[in-house]
Formats: sequence, structure tokens, C-alpha cells
Amino acid sequence: MEHIRTPKVEQVKLLDRFSNKTTTGTLHLTATHLIFVESNVSGAHEIWILHHHIASVEKLSLTTTGCPLLIQCRNFRVVHFVVPRERDCHDIYSSLLHLLRPESYDELYAFSYNPKQNEQQREEGWQLLDLTAEFERMGLPCDQWQLTDVNRDYKVCETYPRDLYVPITASKPIIVGSSKFRSKGRFPVLTYFYQEKKAAVCRCSQPLSGFSARCLEDEHMLQAISRANHNSRFVYVMDTRPKLNALANRAAGKGYENEDNYSNIRFQFVGIENIHVMRASLQKLLEVVGTRALSVTDYLAGLESSGWLRHVKAIVDAAIFLTKAVTVEGASVLVHCSDGWDRTAQVCSLGALLMDPYYRTLKGFMVLIEKDWISFGHKFADRCDQLDGDPREVSPVFTQFLDCVWQLMEQFPQDFEFSEWFLIQLHEHVHSCQFGNFLGNSQRQREELQLKERTYSLWAHLFSERHHCLNPLYSLSSAEKHPVLEPLTQPWNFRFWRNMYHQFDRSMHPRQSVLKHTLALKESNVQLEATVHALKMKLQKLGVSTSPLELLSRPWEHGPPSRPRSLILGAPLSRKEAQQEEEEEEVLGEEALEDGPDGSGGERTAEGSSATENGYGELQDSFGSKSEPAVVSLELGVARMTC
Amino acid sequence: MEKQASVSDSPVLRKPRTFGGNLGSRQESGDSLDSPTGSHVEWCKQLIAATISSQISATVPPEVAPRDSKTGWKTEYRVSRRPNLRDSGEEHGCQWDSASQLPLPAGALKEAQKLVAMDELPLVPGESVKFTAKDVTYICPFTGAVTGTLTLTDYKLYFISLEREPPFVLDVNLGAISRLESFGVQNHGENMRGLEIVCKDMRSPRFLYKQEEQNNEELETLITQYAFPLSNDLPLFAFQYKEAYPVDGWKVYDPAAEYKRQGLPNESWTISKINSNYEVCDTYPALLVIPTSFKDDDLKRVASFRAKHRIPVLSWIHPETQATIVRCSQPLVGPSDRRCKDDERYLQTIMDANAQSHKLTIFDARQLSVADSNKSKDGGYESENIYPNVELNFLDIPNIHVMRESLRKLKDVVYPTIDELHWHSGIDTTHWLEYIRLLLAGAVRIADKVESSKSSVVVHCSDGWDRTAQLTSLAMLMLDSHYRTLRGFQTLLEKEWISFGHKFTSRVGHGDKNHANSERSPLFVQFVDCVWQMMRQFPSAFEFNELFLITILDHLYSCLFGTFLYNSEQERMEKEVQSKTVSLWSYVNSQLEEFTNPFYVDYENQVLYPLASLRHLELWVGYYVRWNPHMRPQMPVHQNLKELQFLRAELQKKVEELQREASSSRSISSSSEHASSPSHGGTPLHTAV
Repeated sequence: MEHIRTPKVEQVKLLDRFSNKTTTGTLHLTATHLIFVESNVSGAHEIWILHHHIASVEKLSLTTTGCPLLIQCRNFRVVHFVVPRERDCHDIYSSLLHLLRPESYDELYAFSYNPKQNEQQREEGWQLLDLTAEFERMGLPCDQWQLTDVNRDYKVCETYPRDLYVPITASKPIIVGSSKFRSKGRFPVLTYFYQEKKAAVCRCSQPLSGFSARCLEDEHMLQAISRANHNSRFVYVMDTRPKLNALANRAAGKGYENEDNYSNIRFQFVGIENIHVMRASLQKLLEVVGTRALSVTDYLAGLESSGWLRHVKAIVDAAIFLTKAVTVEGASVLVHCSDGWDRTAQVCSLGALLMDPYYRTLKGFMVLIEKDWISFGHKFADRCDQLDGDPREVSPVFTQFLDCVWQLMEQFPQDFEFSEWFLIQLHEHVHSCQFGNFLGNSQRQREELQLKERTYSLWAHLFSERHHCLNPLYSLSSAEKHPVLEPLTQPWNFRFWRNMYHQFDRSMHPRQSVLKHTLALKESNVQLEATVHALKMKLQKLGVSTSPLELLSRPWEHGPPSRPRSLILGAPLSRKEAQQEEEEEEVLGEEALEDGPDGSGGERTAEGSSATENGYGELQDSFGSKSEPAVVSLELGVARMTC
Repeated sequence: MEKQASVSDSPVLRKPRTFGGNLGSRQESGDSLDSPTGSHVEWCKQLIAATISSQISATVPPEVAPRDSKTGWKTEYRVSRRPNLRDSGEEHGCQWDSASQLPLPAGALKEAQKLVAMDELPLVPGESVKFTAKDVTYICPFTGAVTGTLTLTDYKLYFISLEREPPFVLDVNLGAISRLESFGVQNHGENMRGLEIVCKDMRSPRFLYKQEEQNNEELETLITQYAFPLSNDLPLFAFQYKEAYPVDGWKVYDPAAEYKRQGLPNESWTISKINSNYEVCDTYPALLVIPTSFKDDDLKRVASFRAKHRIPVLSWIHPETQATIVRCSQPLVGPSDRRCKDDERYLQTIMDANAQSHKLTIFDARQLSVADSNKSKDGGYESENIYPNVELNFLDIPNIHVMRESLRKLKDVVYPTIDELHWHSGIDTTHWLEYIRLLLAGAVRIADKVESSKSSVVVHCSDGWDRTAQLTSLAMLMLDSHYRTLRGFQTLLEKEWISFGHKFTSRVGHGDKNHANSERSPLFVQFVDCVWQMMRQFPSAFEFNELFLITILDHLYSCLFGTFLYNSEQERMEKEVQSKTVSLWSYVNSQLEEFTNPFYVDYENQVLYPLASLRHLELWVGYYVRWNPHMRPQMPVHQNLKELQFLRAELQKKVEELQREASSSRSISSSSEHASSPSHGGTPLHTAV
């Protein structure tokens, strides 16, 4: 609090990024948020910006109307305030500079955030996901793979989790020897087991081979992995880096596996660029799409030259290669990059997503993130810039992974139980530091920070909001028929993810959403079903026998008991809407559920008349409130949790 | 034809080459091809590339028969496709096979390998086989060469190969052929002939066949004859097509009924028969809506002041404000700034017919510079100085030649091979999306003027049958929800495009061999693309789906139906199109379900303003890239929704049933009402109870 000199400034103007619209309101600065409240409008529009979300604050040169303050956020919000008095502006600016980069973990929001849960609820939240159970689900341990306690105390590799799965034939000396030959001690361990073919996906870091170094234990380790799979005589070793980068690493005593030294391996470069290229690429992309008056040429050329979609494609390509090797050839694959925590995590998790329908469910996806990203030590703290650190360590690796997932969801709209909204929420909270899950760089560090005792789990929170996170188009039968996804990678299959990168630019979104329509339909069906049921009960009471409800032909519905329809779909689309329903007692027809026109009367209505009004877009349309498009539900979420 | 002759006279012979082992069995296809034309060197390169790619990924699905081929065997199509819908719905990528689109069961074919494919050839009523050539090789740019039988009928080219499982089928409507290119090729001492069929619908299939064998040289002559019937004194196939549909599509558009729907005639506007014999304007329809107070003689003077006598007439009237969309051609102002008092008064009358505004807005679709140069050629535009209360806007849309060039470039980008690394910049160089944006933006301006400013608008370009039709019909689509229904859209096309004389024959070149004719231009394709862009932004505002749009475009070229034939209503009357041909709408309206968008919600009186920003425009890959086997058909989300709707219908029925039961069994209706109240009854049905 000592940094806040001016907690409140009035008459601040907020400029819209893509139109000339301005709104006037009051700016509040609290210990955790910067809040803008639009003045003199009923149901005032509020913007809540978490300090952790702010990537940069910039004071632009003074204009006649005041002092402009440009704030860029990690969740791709860009706000442009004009503060009437320069003094106020400077106060806020310097306060924010202090607030936005905490120097120690204790200052992070997660340690002060309290969602009014009791101790037991908190503990339950942390127990929601269980990685041991996840490995059991894959069929581990089994006759070829076992749990090793070699890393119980993080002695062999401090960035790995405690529990690791290795081939039964890999003895402790082999493991320890191999780990000494691998960058950061990250020796090959299993991350996914494809039961059907007994093929394993393993991950590690690059070998310290330099130009000629060898390590017998490491060679044994790979041999053990190969022997654990009887379906294939060899193991694929995927180096996810471009060959040039790998060669350059050799000069530093690192490098890649020499096929001559390892029997039974097939070595393959995949060519995904490093974190610095990705950082620059996304920055370029955002610059291009953030331009106000963008010509067709600028847009298309910019989209291409930023290379972002190409990089996304490279990762998907790598995942497809991995998937084919495992599911078609039945071969085990060892994936690594340099340290094995960025590209490796991307490729392994995306590959698993393609192979296993379980990971395409809501809980499965959480497990996947927990396993491949959190426990295997993707450096969230460094990559997401949680503490004031080295800017060269910051990179949108996780964002890029979410982007890949989204591209797959676009191609397979029925195969994912979770919605785009869920991905955006994840992205939001990876940066918000509101929950403990993503804090720190490794499991070991998280334990030291006692996160489970001192913070709350995001998974519990998302589960409590699961009705927002579900994809109404999800179809289980689709997953049963084609458990392995085979995405296409022609250039037109990769699109700019507008709902992520422009999530706060309401004018950028289309006005109607198929998703919402489906939600409305599902809702109405659930209500009908309830009505049928109620009528039946009534009739039964009256002593009239009726045909059982099951007579209803629904051949496509093999809904498992784990997904009770009423619980998910019967829930109102949002709290606001629920309130409204109660207040107005209105009979919701299909039309009433849609935004905009009420369909009643002959009044002419317009959709998308100017570039500024209405329609926060698909997200808002499908999950937010219908009558107040001004309230962005993202903020609602934060606001609800804070107050 | 001269070109072909010269090519075949001088075949350049090269020593044979063989590509990859995979192709060994059918080497004749892949061997050295060359010709004086540079493009054929390119062809060789592509062939190599295609061969290699077919070796890499053996799972690439075969090219699929084009959609329009379903037309003829509608019955089979419906039978074979319907049960398939749900299954194919779950199919992923490469499992997509063309067997489901074939009228013949794949199993039967397997056994009847020796059977001549002609026996199973799907023919539409009235279609007859003209020639069959065996051992023809189709050089598929995606999956490599494949050898089979090529059949020519008077309606289509049909290629089937039993080499692959399922059988590989390709068919091309003769109407879609723009030009033929042929050349001689030497292969293993045999003379081969290559034939490239350049199509209007974004593909160019290539065939190879032995020259001496059978009467194959006839093939080329016959294809030319039947592909360009009008150049060879043959009738268009539409006049031979004899399918009987349960619905008569010619009844879809009744101008009087359509104007009545708009509330016309009214006190200011009248439906005039002045053009009933096409005397005033031979490219306009017989019925015109003009201001009531204007005398016929004066009108004729206005006509003489407008290019091609296309006077300003009403296209659409706002149901509340009486603001109108009026279309016409350019005024013949000329270099000497001629004036026509009657024309000035006429526009004044149009303005006065709308009490809401004291301005008339004129949208000239052209660029100012082009309009100026037209002025020197006796054309021009309305000067704001001369016409009182007129506001003149230029929409800067380039002419038909620019559009033709743009689509030609687009074809190079999407067919046959795609440069993955330069996909976006490739699209950019065609400027296609930019023109789409200009059109949409122009139409939004017109719609906004009418809706928000309540001002009447006059739209014209040079002759008022190209850009004008695009703009007025798009604006009407935005303003009037009726046109977004299946029937309404048919009416819109019949009205704004067909009856108002968009020169379909000239722009498409039906049955004409002169492919280089500068009159050809894909303006209608461009319009449909704009509609598709709108559909993407408003997925629940249109009653029809993407298949409907693609079907329309396929039959724009196919010459199967009479709908898009000829340049004007007058010509169509003379050729008795309505009595001698079948309407496309007969076909469409006989199976409406196929073309219905399940997401459709009828918002009456809803105005759509699409964002004409390029961030919201996308290349319509579902149409332009559809020949690429990697183009996955739309994911069956629609199916999911259809199921939900079906479920709802069933539930509603159930509720109804139960309620009836409840009320009949001495229970009071109030109790059932009570029962349903906790759920807030989410159905219209409940309001009725």
C-alpha cells in the first residue's frame, strides 16, 4: 500500500483502441487492481485490471486533454487512459511501476486472495487432480515400466517431479549416469503410455554430447526404453529444435544423439524455433493486428511475416509426427529440445491430446497441464514474468500451446469437452497469480513455497464454474469412433485466434454465434425434459399410466452417468441471466435467449450497426449476460472472486 | 483449335524418363511430356511433385466427384446419402471417401472389375453418351496418375478408374469448361496426346491418352463440340434435360407478388407496364416500379438520357420510412455536360416520394476517375450542381476486367498446388478479398443510408447491370430478412440479377468457345462470395447453408437448368426458356432440407450490418479450394444441431401429448400449468397452454 499515492482519480477518459469512442469515468488504484468505473451510466461499465496482468505502463507525451497513459496487459488487453492532470498521471504511473513487478513470491496476489472457502474446501481443491491416478489410468506401473524413487528428494533432477516412471530394466546407476549426461539432469522418463501398442512417449533434455562425448549409461537408458516396447525395434528420438540450433549447441558441449552411438534409435529434427523467436513473433503479430487502420495487404502480409501461424503449424506437425509414430507404428518416442521444458512440453502434451480422448475432456485437460507442464517443470514463473526477472526468459510458450489446442478445436468442434472460454480462462490465470498452481518454476519450488497450504487451486475454481467451460457441441460418440485425431495442416486450417488476442476489443467480434444458439437449444431441451417429467409425475398422481420416458428415441445419446445433463445444461447461462429470469418471469423462447432483437413486435432492429456497440463476441454472447454487453464476464469473474 | 493443331504438329520429343517405382506399373502416364507451351513444363514439374507426394502419403483420399453431379441421380443421391449423414458426420480427414457419393456400391464394382464403367454411368434424363475412351490417364495433381475410362456425354465428362479402392471418379460439367488445350507427347515410342481442360470453376484436370488407338482423335473434336454447343450449332443441354420435379421453380418469382409484399403499388409508386414489350428498355423486365406522378412520355425522355435506356426504377422500398433503393445506368452527360430536365425532375420525384428526407443519395459504384473518363465517352454522372438536393458518392469499385484478372490469379494460388509458406501473401496479391471488402463496404453504406438516414438512394455504375446488381442485392439482403430465407434469396436473384438483365451469357460465356472474350467476368461469383462472408458473420440469420450457395454457383456454369441462361428477360421470353427448360429452383425446392441451415432463427425486420473490415473476411476455401483433397468438408456441427432440434421436436410432441392426456383425465389444466412453472417452460408451446 505504501506505493499508492493517489488511490482515486476522477474524470479520466478511456479511449477505445479501434474506434473513436471515448468513455469518461473514475480510476481507482487498489493494492491488487486498477479499476476504471464508467461514470453516470446505470449499470456502469467497469474494468478491473489485476496488477499482475500489466505487462507495461507507458506515459505518452502530454496532449491538450490531459496526460495519456498506455497500459498493455499480458492477457492482451490494451487500455489507453487520458488523465486530466499530469500530477495524477505521474502518481499512478509510478505506483504501477512499483506494483506491477513484485520482487518476492510473498507479494503475489495468490497469497492474499481469499475466496471465502474454509480450510477443508481448499484442501479438497488441491486434491482434485491426482497424477498417480493418472499414471494408473494409462496402465502404469506395468510389466515393463515402474515407478522409481530415485528423485524422491529432488536429488537427481531438481526440476522434475518426485514420482517418475522408467523402464524396469533401467537401474539406479543407469538413471543417475544418464542424468549426468543430460542438460539440467533431465534424463529420459515416461510421460505418456499408449496402452494399446505398449508404446511410450518419453521426455528429456538434450545430451551433453558436444562433438564426440558418449555416455554408456545414457545409451543403456535409451536401449531400455526401446526394449520395453516389443512392437518396435527402435525408438524415435525427436529433437524438436531446428538442426542449426542443435548444431550450435554442440559447440557448447551439448547437442544431440549420434545415431552411431545409440543402437536402435531413429533420430529426427522437427524444427520448432526457440523461445526468443516465438516471443518476437507474437509481438509482431500483435503489432500488426493492433494497427487501427489496417489495409488488406498489411494484414495478410503481416499475418504471414509474423510467422506465428507457421510456428503454430510446426508444433502441430511435430505432434502429428509423434502421434503417428506411437499409434500407427507402435514405436516409442523420446522427445527433447534443449532443456526439455518448453518445446518438449508443447509437443508431448499436444501429442497426448491427439492420441487420447481423455485429455480432451475438461478434467483430462487439467490433468494434462498438471502433468506435462506443471509437474515436469515448465518455468511458469520465468516464462510468464511473475517476478521481476530476466526479460529474455519471458516467452509465450504456454499461450502458443493453447493456441495450438484452439486450432485443433476449430477443426474438431465436437471432440473437446471444454470450450474456447476455458482456454482463455486458463491463460488468464496463468498470468493472474491469483491461484497457486502456476507459481514458481518447479514442483520443488512450489513445495518450498507451501502453496498448497497458503493458496487456492485454480482447478477447483474452474470446476465450480464448469458450466461455463463446457463445449455444447461435444459428442462422446465422436471420440469413441475416432479416438485419435488427424488434423489437417494446410495453411487455411490455421487462423488468427481473435477471441484470445482481441478478447477485450469488443468491436472486433462478430455478432452471432453458433455456439450460443446450441447452448440455447440444449437449455430449452432440458427444460422440456423437465416439463415432460413434471407432467408425468402429475399424471401418475392422478392415476393415469403413461409410457415411460425412455421411449424417447435418442440413438446418439450414450451419455455416461458422469455427466448429468441437468447439472450442466440446466444451469443458467450466467448469474445475471438467472436473476433476470426470476425478476421478469419471462417465458424464454428461443428468440429471447438470443441477443439483440426480442423478436416481438414489428420493430426493426439492427445488428452490428456501428463498429463500436454491442456484441462482445462469441464469448460474451455465449456465456455472458445478454442485456448488458458492457459487462465483460472475464471481469465479472475477477470481481466476484475479489469481493 | 488452331492452337491445338500447331501444337500437335510439332511435338517436341525428349528421351523418356521414369518417375519413382510407385508409378512403374503405369509409366505411360508419368513420362516425359513436353510442348512448346511453357505451361506444360510447369505441368511436368507438378506431375513430378504430385507423384512424389503420392508416394509419401498413400492415404490421401481420392478426389471427390463434384457436387453438381448429384443433380441427375437425385434419387440415388438421397438414398445413399441420407443414412450416411450421421456416419460421415464423425469421419475425420483422410477417412473421407468418395464412395458415399457414388451411385454404385463399391462392393459390386470390385467383383465387376471387367465391367465397362459406362454401364453404371449416371445419366440425367435427356443425357446421352457421345463417346467412350478407354485407357485414359487422369493426371491428378494431388494423388498422382490414374488410368481409367473417360466418357463424354452431351452434359458432362465422366472419368472412372477401378485401379483404386474405392473407384476413382471425376466428373466435369461441360458447361464449366472454359477452354481446351492439347498437345502431343512422346512416350516409349508411342504418341500420346495430352488434354488440359481449363474450367471456370477453379480447376484444370489433365488427361493423357494414346493417339492412334481407337478413334481417340475424335474425342477432342467431340469434347469441343459439346463443351461449346453454341459455337457448333448445337443446343444448350438445358433444352434437352428432361427431369420432372414435383415443384415448379419457374413459379418462384412473380414480380407483382414480390412488389405487393413490399407494399407496392402505393400512392407514390406505381407498377408500370410501359416496358411490357421491352420497348423502353430491352434489358429491363416487363414490369417496372416508377413514380406514380410521372408521365410515360416524360419517362421516355429520361430513358434516352440514360445508358442503354436503363431508367431509374425502384428495387426496394423500406416498409416504414418509404425510403427506396433505386437502380439505373449512368446518365449520358457527355463531355459537354448535357442536361436533361426530365431526368432532373424524375430524380426530384423519387426524392419527394420519401417524406422522411430532403436529400437523395446517389451511389456511383465506380471510381471518380473512371466516371470522368466515361464522361468523355458520352457517359458520366449526376453533378451535385445540377441536380438539387443530391448527394453523390463514389464507391471506388473496379470494373469487370479487374475482377476477372483477380479471380484468375486466385486460381493460380489455390490450384493445383498451394504454396504453404506464402499462402497469405499469395491471397493478398490477387486482391480478391480487397474487392470483396469494397463491395460489402459499399453495400453497408447503401443499407445504412436507407435504414439510418431514411434517405432514398440511387445506385448505378456504367450500365447498371454488374456492380449495380451486386450492390443493390447485397444491400437488400442486409435490409430485408425475407431475402435471407431460401425462397426469398431465390426471389432476390430472379429479380435483381436475372430479370434486371445481368448479362449471364456474356459474363459466364455459356456454350461459347471464345474463352478470351473480355465480356466474361465472375461478378456473380463475387456476389455469392459476399453472401458467404455475411453468413459467416451472422450464422443464424440465413435460412440456407453453404451447400446452397455452392450449388447455385455450380449451376451457374452447368447449363443444366435454364435459370441463368441468356442476358435479359426479353431474350428468355423469345427462347421460351420457361417452357423448354427446368428451373434450378425446381431442383432446390424439391429437397429443401439439404439446403437448410439448422441454425437459422427468423428475426423479422432485422437489419444486418456485416463488418466489412478485412479482419473479418476470409477466403472461401470451401468453394475455391474444394478440389483439393485436403479440403475437409464442413465439420458436422450442423448434424449435432439437427439432432438437438429433432430431440426438441420430439419433446414438444411429448409435452403436448401428456398435456392432452392430463386435461382429458379430469385433471384441471391449471395443475399441469403449475407443474411446468418451476422450469419456466422454455418453449413457445407453453405460452400457448
